[in-house]
Amino acid sequence: MTMQLIETLLNGLLLGGLYGLIGLGLSINFGTMRVVYLAHGDLIVLAAYFLVVALVPLGIPALVAAAIVVPVLFAVGWALQRFIVGWSLGRGILPPLIVTFGISMVLQNVLLLFATADARTLQTSLASSGVRLGSITVPTVRIIDFAVGVGCLGLLLAILGRTALGRALRATSDDADTARLMGVDPRRMYAVAAGISAATGAVGGVLLSATRTFYPTTGSEALLVAFEVVVVGGLGSLTGTFLGGILLAMAQLLAALWPGPSYSQVAAHVVVLLVLVFRPQGLLPRTAP
Amino acid sequence: MTAARLARPLRAVITAALVLVLALCPVWGGDGARSTLIVFAYYAALAQMWNLLAGYAGLVTFGQQLFIGLGGYTLAVGCERIGLGVWSAFALAAVVTGALAVPVGALTFRLKGGYFAVGSWVIAEIFRLSFGNWSYVSNASGMFIRPARSVDPWLLYYVAIGLLLGMVALVVATLRSRAGLGLMAIRDAEDAAAGLGVHVWRVKLLAFVIAAAGTGLIAALITVQTPFIQPNAAFSIEWSAQVSFMAVVGGLGTVEGPIIGAAIYVVLQHRLGGSGAIHLIVVGAVSVIVMLVAPRGIAGLVRDRWGWTLFPVARRPPVKADRAP
Repeated sequence: MTMQLIETLLNGLLLGGLYGLIGLGLSINFGTMRVVYLAHGDLIVLAAYFLVVALVPLGIPALVAAAIVVPVLFAVGWALQRFIVGWSLGRGILPPLIVTFGISMVLQNVLLLFATADARTLQTSLASSGVRLGSITVPTVRIIDFAVGVGCLGLLLAILGRTALGRALRATSDDADTARLMGVDPRRMYAVAAGISAATGAVGGVLLSATRTFYPTTGSEALLVAFEVVVVGGLGSLTGTFLGGILLAMAQLLAALWPGPSYSQVAAHVVVLLVLVFRPQGLLPRTAP
Repeated sequence: MTAARLARPLRAVITAALVLVLALCPVWGGDGARSTLIVFAYYAALAQMWNLLAGYAGLVTFGQQLFIGLGGYTLAVGCERIGLGVWSAFALAAVVTGALAVPVGALTFRLKGGYFAVGSWVIAEIFRLSFGNWSYVSNASGMFIRPARSVDPWLLYYVAIGLLLGMVALVVATLRSRAGLGLMAIRDAEDAAAGLGVHVWRVKLLAFVIAAAGTGLIAALITVQTPFIQPNAAFSIEWSAQVSFMAVVGGLGTVEGPIIGAAIYVVLQHRLGGSGAIHLIVVGAVSVIVMLVAPRGIAGLVRDRWGWTLFPVARRPPVKADRAP
């Protein structure tokens, strides 16, 4: 029993890397342009479909295909921002919500139309292999989830904290008008941020496709995970977002153990409710960029 | 809002004519017209409730399916499990959803803007998943509401039309009240409204409860018509997609807008029939385009061009003769 509990918590920690990564994208979009990007989950699933349905069947090795998916999704996120979402900014909270929700509906149903509602997953040798730690076996794919998730977080923090681009992004986030006076074009920054966000989503989508089965509707599920990770972690803190991911993944896996697998999804939602009741500011409120 | 309005008698005549056409449906229409108009009436009423929140109270939500599911299940459980009559269970739906809106609002109001929109969706998901795991309501396989089958379809029609007119009257009355003025002030500038003495939280909660009770009542009617309910459909996010489409295309922040939007939606649904995916792609794409090109929707365009409103709720500042140029 104790071993099973430790195994579940360890698995939760590792899966939390993927959840944190899924939340990061939403956090970046909100951090720079104050928009809750409702199509984020569908971009993640779009990346997963692009990999599994379009690239892998061509005989492209999974790793090479993943290296194609990420820049393509950067371009998709950039273009959506530049040509659609960007035009809805600056007129209150409603227009960007309606626009990103509309994009979400279009993406989800286009996937449904062209890729059908069949369950998909990335067939790799990783799926069945495991790493033994004493009497516990951990799936290799979850260790990769965690390592890649932490790697992406580190990379993002480095970009935001130490590069000229990161400085411009943070300046736009703090005060777009003053940033413009300093020669930073906020619309360009928003498009770059949306591109980075979609690229993190693409990495998340690749990992998701190797970790579990997915459907066109998984986009909504992923959006809710991202939202919950951000709310639990604390709005505006990338590191908090990551901790939120770990907490939620642990809650889901524990609930799957008891009371049972059909409760795992609802467990994450209930954690969010508890956070809203007892700690509405989240785990780590507004610290890092 | 300085544009000229339609004269009061003309507005009354147009409204009366529309009501008369609807009331005389048995004379000019058959079963097809009846069922189309029932669907139109409940969509228009649902969109009216969403518009009260998003268009007037600044509470953009993608979680109204919570109250749709709960209203529907109140009817189903009331009829099938408790043994209430159809119409008592129907009335109970408004009470249950209105009462539940208080704790839900208290919790979700802690989230701002877009996070409120998604937070409400999460609460609806909790209920969708829980009802799917609840054997008392037959889990995810759903319930038939047998007593509802004996309801006369024309009675259902008049209740649907009555409900739509009632919701329009409710929204107009709310907006013309002191609380309504507070709502619009909050939507335009929350901090400034609070500074001028509007009880922001209380006024928002009032709007939230009214919208929840109205939505629950309409959902109960939908369930009488179906007469079947299932958690995945009743608590589905598609409801939010539909009502937001209707309010946005028709015209947010206008009373006519959701009615126009519902009419367009019903026509679209008939045209696109068949495939759900294509229908939803069109709904999503049109919402995006309208939001970018004509954010005030059809009613907004008409109002900007000709200054026509059928249900004016904006206040006009009193004109003083001595200040006139």
